[in-house]
Formats: sequence, C-alpha cells, structure tokens
Amino acid sequence: MIKIQGLHKSFGDLQVLKGIDCEIKEKEVVCVIGPSGSGKSTFLRCINLLEDITEGSVFIDGVRVNDPHTDINEIRKEVGMVFQRFNLFPHMSVLDNITIAPKKIRKMHEVEAKDLAYQLLEKVGLRDKADAYPEQLSGGQMQRVAIARALAMRPKIMLFDEPTSALDPEMVKEVLDVMKQLAKEGMTMVVVTHEMGFAREMGDRVLFMDEGIIMEEGTPTEVFGQPKNERTQDFLSKVL
Amino acid sequence: MIDFIEGIRFDMIWSYKEYFIRGLWITLSLTIIGYLGGVILGLFLGMGKLSKVKWIYYPSKLYVDFFRGTPLLVQLLLIHLAVIPTIFGSSLGPFTSGAIALVLNCAAYNAEIIRAGIQSIEKGQMEAARSLGMPHKEAMRHIILPQAFRRMIPPLGNEWIALLKDSSLVTVISATDLLFAGKVVAGAYSRFWEPYITIAILYLLLTWVFTRIIAYVEKRYSNSYIPSQRRGIFSRPSVGR
Ligand SMILES: Nc1ncnc2c1ncn2[C@@H]1O[C@H](COP(=O)(O)OP(=O)(O)OP(=O)(O)O)[C@@H](O)[C@H]1O
Ligand SMILES: [Mg+2]
Repeated sequence: MIKIQGLHKSFGDLQVLKGIDCEIKEKEVVCVIGPSGSGKSTFLRCINLLEDITEGSVFIDGVRVNDPHTDINEIRKEVGMVFQRFNLFPHMSVLDNITIAPKKIRKMHEVEAKDLAYQLLEKVGLRDKADAYPEQLSGGQMQRVAIARALAMRPKIMLFDEPTSALDPEMVKEVLDVMKQLAKEGMTMVVVTHEMGFAREMGDRVLFMDEGIIMEEGTPTEVFGQPKNERTQDFLSKVL
Repeated sequence: MIDFIEGIRFDMIWSYKEYFIRGLWITLSLTIIGYLGGVILGLFLGMGKLSKVKWIYYPSKLYVDFFRGTPLLVQLLLIHLAVIPTIFGSSLGPFTSGAIALVLNCAAYNAEIIRAGIQSIEKGQMEAARSLGMPHKEAMRHIILPQAFRRMIPPLGNEWIALLKDSSLVTVISATDLLFAGKVVAGAYSRFWEPYITIAILYLLLTWVFTRIIAYVEKRYSNSYIPSQRRGIFSRPSVGR
C-alpha cells in the first residue's frame, strides 16, 4: 500500500533522512520509534508530501507521490494525518472542523456530512461536543476530534505523529483507545510514538529509526524482546 | 487677549456651511473608496508578498516598497499631473485622481498588515488543512484568512484613521474636501483661526466616532472564537468556562 524507496531528505545542508526503504501493507499497523531528532516526523511528513522529498520515491497504491504530474491533493484525500499539537481549526465548532473537508473537497452535502460527523463523534466518544469550540475541550478531547476530522475524508491510511505526546498523562489512554479501535477495524496506520505499550500491543511491526535511517525493524516481540542493534538496545534501555 | 476672543467670528463659518458639508462628504467618500479599494488590492499584494513564485513576489514587493517609501503628497501630484494626463490625454478631475492615489497608497500599507496577519497564523493550521486534501487556495479561504482577519482588525483600524486624516492632502490638487473648505473661508476673509479650528474640530469628531466603532469591532472579535462568548458593546462581561 505504501512503498518507500531510497528516501533522502535534507533541510539545506542538514541531512535528516539518509536512505529509507520500507513497505507498508494494507491493514498493517507500523509503529516508528527512535530518539528525538532522528527524523521520525520528517519521515512521516514525506509520506503525504508535507515535506518535499529531496531524493527517492514514495508510492501510495502504486502512484508515485513525489511525481510532478501527481495531484497531491488527490493522494492526501486518502491519507489522514494526526498531529502532535492537534491543529484543530479554532474558529470552527467541532462539527464544522469535521465537516469542512468532506463538504469542500468531497463535495458532500451538508446533511450527509453532518450524519458522518455525528457517526465519527460517536466513535470517538464525543457526540455531545458537536457544538463546542476547540478552546472548550481538553487536550484528549481535541485529539479525538482531530482523529474524527481526519477520518471524515474516509482515508485508506492514517498517519499519527506522536498523537499523545502533548497530552497530560490521564488523557493518553482515551486517545490510545480510539487508535486501538481503529487498528482493530483494519485501518492501515503508521504511528510515530513514544508509547512503547501501544507499539508492543498494537504494532504489527516496529521500526527503530536513528540518525535518518531505519536501524532495526521487526515484530514488537523481536524488537522489544531481543533487539539486535546496539543502538536499539541502548534506546530501549532508556525508555522502558 | 480679550480683544482676540471678542474678535472671533464664527458667523462666517456658518455662511459657508455648504462648503463644509460638501467637504465632509468628499472627505468621507475619499476615505471609504480609498480604504475599500486599498483592502481589496492590499489583499492581493499581501498574498503576493507571501508567494514563493518570484514573478509574483518581486512586483508585489516593489509596489509596496514604492508606495510606502515615497510621500503620499508626491504620489498625489505624480498621479494627478503626470500619470493620468499621460494615459487618458486629460485630467479626470481632482476627485478621481485623489481616490486613485489613496487606493494605491492605502493598498501598500494594508498589504503589509495582511501579510503579517497571515504569517502570524500557526504553521500547523495550513498543514492540517493541506493534509485533508484542501488545495492551497481553499485552505487560505476557509482556514487561514478567517483566523488572520481577527488579528488584522486593530492595525486595519489604525489604517482607517490614518487614511481619514491623510485624505486631507488631496486639497493640494484642489479636490473640494474638508480642508479645502477651510482654505476657501480663510482666503475669502483672510482669517485663519476660525476656519482651521472648525475643520480641526470636525476631523477630531470624525476620528473620535470611528475610533469608538473600531474599538467595538475589536472587542466583538477578540477574546474568544466561541460565538456566545463574544461580547456585544453593552453586554456584561461573560463568565469564564
Ligand atoms: N523545517 C525544518 N527545517 C530545518 N530543519 C528541520 C526542519 N524540520 C526538522 N528539522 C530537523 O530535522 C531533524 C529531524 O527532525 P524530526 O522532527 O523529523 O525528528 P523527530 O525524530 O520527529 O524528533 P522528535 O522525537 O523530537 O519529534 C532535526 O534535527 C530537526 O532539527
Ligand atoms: Mg517528531
């Protein structure tokens, strides 16, 4: 479903990604772990081209994302993204946050879009917050709305960039529970996370990134149980 | 001193009242036209200054630098006496020249305000919109501009007041604005206190009224995005969440 070949990314002289190859299959949940500054966010943001790619290719459903002839907006409709800092639209109600993209981009009718929004709010447990504004919500609630907003485009893939890192500890669970539910429903997910518990429980595969490359990958049992790479061992000993 | 006060004759203002009423009307018209035109043109220029495309960015920058870097008085004379006669073969009258100059000048200042307002919106807002598949233009229209607009209200309000006062410069090309009325009276009677004090008071009144209106709009759109918590001018402060 996602295929990444020889992905390089530089910011000016700073080389952040130094050759990443990786394939993500349909319905797979891939967790990306690694130390701060190793390029995890950059990797994720290259997949939907929020960062332009210096070298290499990303294919989604066989379409080369970074081809000049590819309409990136078409690709992005199929790839939802959830940010560390939620990035809800503060000038819109929760309902409008969720319906704006389906209405404007998928040309969905008002009634249909609202129905969909209520369904999704039900799913993330926030049906009663439809008319609230982002500033009236807690962090955990905002992140759940952000997930609903991304799901409203009916994406095939969901990208999560440290979705719980900006949350108070007591709110982490409510967000992870929504993500677990999503994983169980068969969503293809790429999750950058510091929640090793989530990676262990829900990940089909874990990628350990360091210094712009994938140092080690495998099932959670392999990576957490018997890490082969020294850097992985070192990292895990610090976070576990 | 006593002689001076006793010598003041406001009756001559009264006999020229049509001039002052007409002047007020012209000043207000020029301000409204200059401002509306300036906002619309300024929006495009402001976006132009944010463009990564060189042939959009540089002309926008050049425009803004020129109109902010030269005196409005010079721009007025240049447009009225040089540009318009060259293009149209004859003058289109001082009002038209004045309006054009004010639009062009105001647009440059508004462009900077609009650019700064757009840039002040957190990068994540654009990214979230784009990640949903919104094209750049749609994201601007639905996500960025509505938020940026609130932050632009105070500086755009200042710009309105500044334009109201600066519009008096059109007097030099003989547009019959408020200041011009004062000059006519001054010329007719060779007296200066009465006419200039009168127009000063009229300008002060105008700026006072508009300052109040702007303060109201600012209040209405500040604090909160939650409609029920936006404050009307007479409503009590809302209770926190
Ligand atoms: N827009 C940018 N311009 C310049 N440098 C950048 C930019 N974005 C990221 N970087 C640099 O790229 C490197 C990798 O950043 P990235 O955000 O991908 O790391 P990360 O693994 O997500 O870290 P964290 O766990 O702290 O989120 C860092 O050194 C960062 O400073
Ligand atoms: Mg990151």
